[in-house]
Order: sequence, then C-alpha cells, then structure tokens
Amino acid sequence: MKQALQKPLAQYLIALADDELILGHRNSEWTGHAPILEEDIAFANIALDEIGHARLWYELAAELSDEDKRTFPDKQVFFRPEQEFCCLQFVELPKGDWAFSMLRQYLFDALEAQRLKGLIKSKQKPLADVAAKINNEEIYHLRHTRAWVRRLGLGSKESQRRMQAALDELWPYAQALGARLPGELELVEEGFVPSSSKAFGLWKKEVSAFLKEADLKTQEAKVHEVDRAVHSEYFEVLVKDMQEVAQTEPGASW
Amino acid sequence: MSDTQFPRFMVFQQAGEGEPLLHNGTVHAPDIEMALLNARDVFVRRPDAVALWVVPVDAIYSQTREELTQTIARSAKHDEAIPNPELEDYYVFGKLSQQAQATHLGKVNANSPQAAMNAAVEKFSDRKVLRWYVFPASAVLKSKPGEADPMFAPARDKTYKDQAEYPVVTMMRQIRATGHLEEDK
Repeated sequence: MKQALQKPLAQYLIALADDELILGHRNSEWTGHAPILEEDIAFANIALDEIGHARLWYELAAELSDEDKRTFPDKQVFFRPEQEFCCLQFVELPKGDWAFSMLRQYLFDALEAQRLKGLIKSKQKPLADVAAKINNEEIYHLRHTRAWVRRLGLGSKESQRRMQAALDELWPYAQALGARLPGELELVEEGFVPSSSKAFGLWKKEVSAFLKEADLKTQEAKVHEVDRAVHSEYFEVLVKDMQEVAQTEPGASW
Repeated sequence: MSDTQFPRFMVFQQAGEGEPLLHNGTVHAPDIEMALLNARDVFVRRPDAVALWVVPVDAIYSQTREELTQTIARSAKHDEAIPNPELEDYYVFGKLSQQAQATHLGKVNANSPQAAMNAAVEKFSDRKVLRWYVFPASAVLKSKPGEADPMFAPARDKTYKDQAEYPVVTMMRQIRATGHLEEDK
C-alpha cells in the first residue's frame, strides 16, 4: 500500500469503529431492562457484536499507524478524550424507548449492510477479510431488527405511534449516514472502500420501501450535522460513563 | 390473573450433522419466526449447532409411559378437541432417561395427535421412552440450511471466559477471612 494512503485509511477505520462502539455502548444500556428475557439476551448479544466489530476495525487501524494491536483498542475506547471521537450524533442519542432503539439499530444495520458489500470487495485484503467476518453477524442483526420494526409498525395503535415518533426523531440524524467518512475520497479512487453516498442511495431506497410496508412514514428531512467532530449534548456523559471504571485503575486486569 | 406472557415455543437443537435433534429449552415469542430468532440468541451463542427447530408448545402432544397405559378417556377427549381427518406427518421425540433431553426418534403418519402417539409407540417399541412427544411436521419452523452461516457460525469463534475463570468465590472468601484481598504474587 502507498505510504500516503495509510493515514486516511486509519482515519476511515476509526470512524467506522467509533460508530459501532458508541451504538454498541448505547444498546448495552438495555441489558437487564429489555421487554422480555429472550430479547434482553438477544439485544445484549447484538450490542456485544457491535463492540466486537469496533475492536476489529481499531486493530486494523493500529497496524496502519504503528500502534500495538493488543493495546490500541482499549486506548481508543477508555483513554481517548471525548473531543477526539469521530462518531455520528445518530449513534449518540439516548436509547429512548424500545421502538427507538430497535429502529436505530435497523437503520444502522441496513446502511452497514450496503457498505459491507463494497468493503468485502476491497482491494485491501485484510480489510476485505474483516468485512466478510462482520457481514455474517450483520445479516443476522438485520433479520432481527427488521422483524421488530415490522411487528411494532404493524402491531397495536400504541406500538405504531411509538415507532412513528421514533422515526420522526431519528430520520434527520439518519441522513448523516450518507456523509463521506474521513479519508474516503482517496480510498474510493484506489478501490479500497465503497462510496458512502452510493451506499446511502441504495440504503434510502430499501429502507423507505421497508418502512412503508411497516406502515411508517418518512418525511423529507434536512441532513442533521454531518461533521463528526461535532458531538451532541449527550455525548460527554456517555463517554464519562464508558471510561469511568477503566480510568479508576488504569492497567487493571480482569 | 390472565397470562400476559407471549406464547411459549419448544426449542430443538442439532449439535452436528448426523446427530439427533435434542430438546434444549423453551422461549417466549410473539410468533414462530421470532421464536426461531430468540432460540438462536438464547441457546446458540456459545455451543455449536447446525440446525434449530421451534414448535409452539400448544401443538405438542405429550404423554409419559405411565399415562399411556391408562389414558383412553383422556385421549378420546384430545381427539375431540383437535379433529383432523387428514393424514399428516408427525415428528416423534422421546425422553430416554430422567436426566436426558428429549431426543428425535423419527416420523409417523397419522390423522390425530393420539393416533400419532399410538403409531409412535408401536414404531419405536424398541426404545425405552419415559415421556413421548408428538407434533405435526407442519407446526415446526426450522432454520434453513442456507442460513446456517449467519445463524450459527458467529458463535463458533467467539472467545469467552468460563465462569470458573473468574475466581470471585475464592476472592470473597479471602476478603471475609482476612478483611482484604491479597495482591497477586
């Protein structure tokens, strides 16, 4: 790989990882609180999967940045200042009710599925390998979240109302999923990664049709903040919470 | 008080090709498709599996060996409750020891749960069954072979710690005895 591409690719991977990490962290807040035991286990698994995917992307980024693959993920997650994270506000928003969390996970999974299609074909072999591994779990996530969105959308009056409210709130934030990732421009030219706007176009088509089937209406929405350096008001507390234990005793082993 | 829980589904799991399906437990779910997803999440995160079946508990007709010998009245009532003149396939499972999970024995063709039960007892008379289970093949939802990868592969290479690897009990004993935890040497 060209030397000049290492840095953009590392940045790109860290952005992917940050989205997965923060979404996984948010979803982990349901552990012990989901509507039924079975779903508690299922959603905790999905949260754990997302955090696992973040780890895989951080490890790849470490190899490109002369960092130690074993310590880099923890360093990124537990010891990085809040301002240096580059996740979207979409994943930062509080978990809300069950409808909100399910819908967010679905919208995220559906975009990830489109992006992974391209990443699997990446000319960067290690990247393609990790993408294939992640894709296997994502197929399942999508099946799970689609099942919930459809059932809540077509369920009772109350579940439909909550689902529609969740969609109204999430839709503007979700538009930022199509924004270019850091470093993306050069990487697309090299055939390393797919174009986000193309993935987003396919996402929008698929998601809109699916939501309509589930009796949910999308409205034309302005794109909410796409700058990954600008975080929501909720982010500071989230990071503090996530890092608290690790920072109490750095280097402790479990 | 009325039951506000979702319906229950029995979960059967096959650990490897050529091995019998075993009853693994029960999940709640709003419908059978969600039951299959829940079964995967609850039972196949760690251990290996190549196939999963879910069956609504209501579709399962079950009798112990003792019940079988003296249930003419009961079976008549059951037949009445579910009239079904058409012949159809029923799966047969049996519990072969007190500790064992119910295991897949085979299939019979019958026109009612009780007829299926009778046919099963005759067909598998060589097996020592403590409790029999029969249910129509049409009531089952099975994982599809084509989906095996996303369903089961991710669990296979997950690393995890066994409970025993967290020496919590030992640590708590130490703290109780000495008032503090001795540092690692």
